[in-house]
Amino acid sequence: MKQINSVCLIDDDPILIFAIKMIFKASKVCKNFTVYNNGEDAIDGLSQTLASGKDIPELILLDINMPIMDGWQFLDEFAKMTISKKITLYMVSSSVDPVDFMKAKEYELIKDFIVKPLTSDTLIKIAEDLNSN
Amino acid sequence: MKDVYNKLLRISNKQTSVSNPFLDSIQKSIAIGSWEIDLQTMEISWSPMTKFIHEVAEDFTPNVEEALNFYEEGYHRDLISVLFDKAVNNGEEFDEEFLFRTAKNNLKWVRSIGYPVIENNKTVKILGVFQDVTEKTNTYKELEYQEKLISTTLEHAPNGMALVGLKGEILQLNKKFCDYLGYSKTELMLTNVNRLSHPDDINIIPIHINEMINGEKDHFECEKRYQKKDGSIIYCLLSVSIIRDEANQPLHFISNIIDITKSKEANKKIESLLQTTKSQNTRLQNFAHIVSHNLRSHSGNLEMLLELMSDEIPESTQNEFFPLINEAVNRLSETILNLNEVANINTKKNQDLESNNLLDFTNNALSTFRAEIIETKAKINIEIHNNIEVLAIPAYLESVLLNFISNAIKYKKEDIDPVINIHAEKENNYVKIKIEDNGRGINLDLHKDKIFGLYKTFHNHKDARGLGLYITKNQIDAMNGKVEVTSKVNIGTTFTIYLKHEAN
Repeated sequence: MKQINSVCLIDDDPILIFAIKMIFKASKVCKNFTVYNNGEDAIDGLSQTLASGKDIPELILLDINMPIMDGWQFLDEFAKMTISKKITLYMVSSSVDPVDFMKAKEYELIKDFIVKPLTSDTLIKIAEDLNSN
Repeated sequence: MKDVYNKLLRISNKQTSVSNPFLDSIQKSIAIGSWEIDLQTMEISWSPMTKFIHEVAEDFTPNVEEALNFYEEGYHRDLISVLFDKAVNNGEEFDEEFLFRTAKNNLKWVRSIGYPVIENNKTVKILGVFQDVTEKTNTYKELEYQEKLISTTLEHAPNGMALVGLKGEILQLNKKFCDYLGYSKTELMLTNVNRLSHPDDINIIPIHINEMINGEKDHFECEKRYQKKDGSIIYCLLSVSIIRDEANQPLHFISNIIDITKSKEANKKIESLLQTTKSQNTRLQNFAHIVSHNLRSHSGNLEMLLELMSDEIPESTQNEFFPLINEAVNRLSETILNLNEVANINTKKNQDLESNNLLDFTNNALSTFRAEIIETKAKINIEIHNNIEVLAIPAYLESVLLNFISNAIKYKKEDIDPVINIHAEKENNYVKIKIEDNGRGINLDLHKDKIFGLYKTFHNHKDARGLGLYITKNQIDAMNGKVEVTSKVNIGTTFTIYLKHEAN
């Protein structure tokens, strides 16, 4: 399977980050991870990366409920950034609230809404979809 | 009347008879007749007007008895007899009104006045005046009646009423008005009505009063607080009307107050209860969401870690604990999912229902259980006309059907193949869906009240979790439907679901 250069994880849950890293590493999908623990850190980090002329990760997995700046607020800020490269963004949440589902549909940036728990099958499918595009 | 009598007396003294052309014309114009009785001869003479009032012929000459018999029998005749006796024997004058029946049998009110003429300490004759006062008396009695009617109405009215002058002074008031405000009648008479107002409400009234005085309106109503003598407050519904004279000039106001303190206070209580309930409900819903969401992230992580663990360190699963932990985590996740489901049903309640084909939904639900149906050799009989549509939230309709069918299969009798009859028909505003099985049945004597409750199980089945019927019931409620159950142990259970259909 073709590798993904870099995955950006925006989540405040260390267990989830640990697990995603492990699954991707084990399936040899990706080795490079950028981790932010809330939306604000992510916006700051991604802006700096862009400013220094480096590539930002091609896949972003974004949690909804986070301290300081949540997933929705991140999306609003992220939409304002000028990024030439195609970025694929998945929303990942434990929420089964239909309100969140509906809201996710309104954002063009969101490729899909994934309900936790994440399984290795789901993650590998995401990687495959990304590569086939 | 005294003047008339004096004149009469003077004329009578000169003339022997009361019949005199001049006198007659006077009598006619003032509708007063005269009479005279000579006590020595007991001769009676009536003036033409008197005869006219009696409705007798002009040549009629009565005797005393006949004359008295014109007076209405009973009180009136007794009274005139007594008064006549007193005039004869004691020389006493009389002046009374009597009910009187004419020769033509018409009932009249008459005023009869008698003046004894005394010579040598003896009454020799009585001169009298006779007047028809029927009209006056009737008008007067009518007025008296009206007045009594008004004052009785006012006094015993169930609400407070007062007659208020243009400057706000109380001119007349009833007992209820006094009772409401805790004052006595004398304390309130001529008091300015504004003095009774709650200080904060004193400004409500003047604009309306001015508009009424200016003729812009005749009436107004408002809610207003009054301060009682003891300082406490009463809430009243006040209604004020203006009374005008013939020239349309304002005379005074009629104020009408109804004490609404009790209903006002009850209303306040209800409002605050409602407020409390609302906020409690919101808090509860938020709580349910937060708890289930947070629990879900943890159970999700546990599931994920267990999966990772079994993939990465397969040897770690080779013990008695791992499968049990795995089972426990799965149960936990499922429970949390169900709780979320319940929390969400309540938020969906106002969602619009759509028309769905019941037969299609039933067939879809059954296809989910293909494997179980084959395995249990279940026989399914469907009697649903393909044109029956129900108003439902599709996901809920599906869930409801799945749940009842799954229960019917799950709780079959050990040794007998399940038979499930699904039947639907229209009944008034509802489609009545019957799902009947021949399974183990539920002891309704024991479980009737909690059959649709949360976490109630009635069987020792390994998959019985007790959430299904609770969710199902909530979903049916959310679709404005209802559900009933009949069941007999070892015979079977019938669930009857009522869902609305599109009104034709």
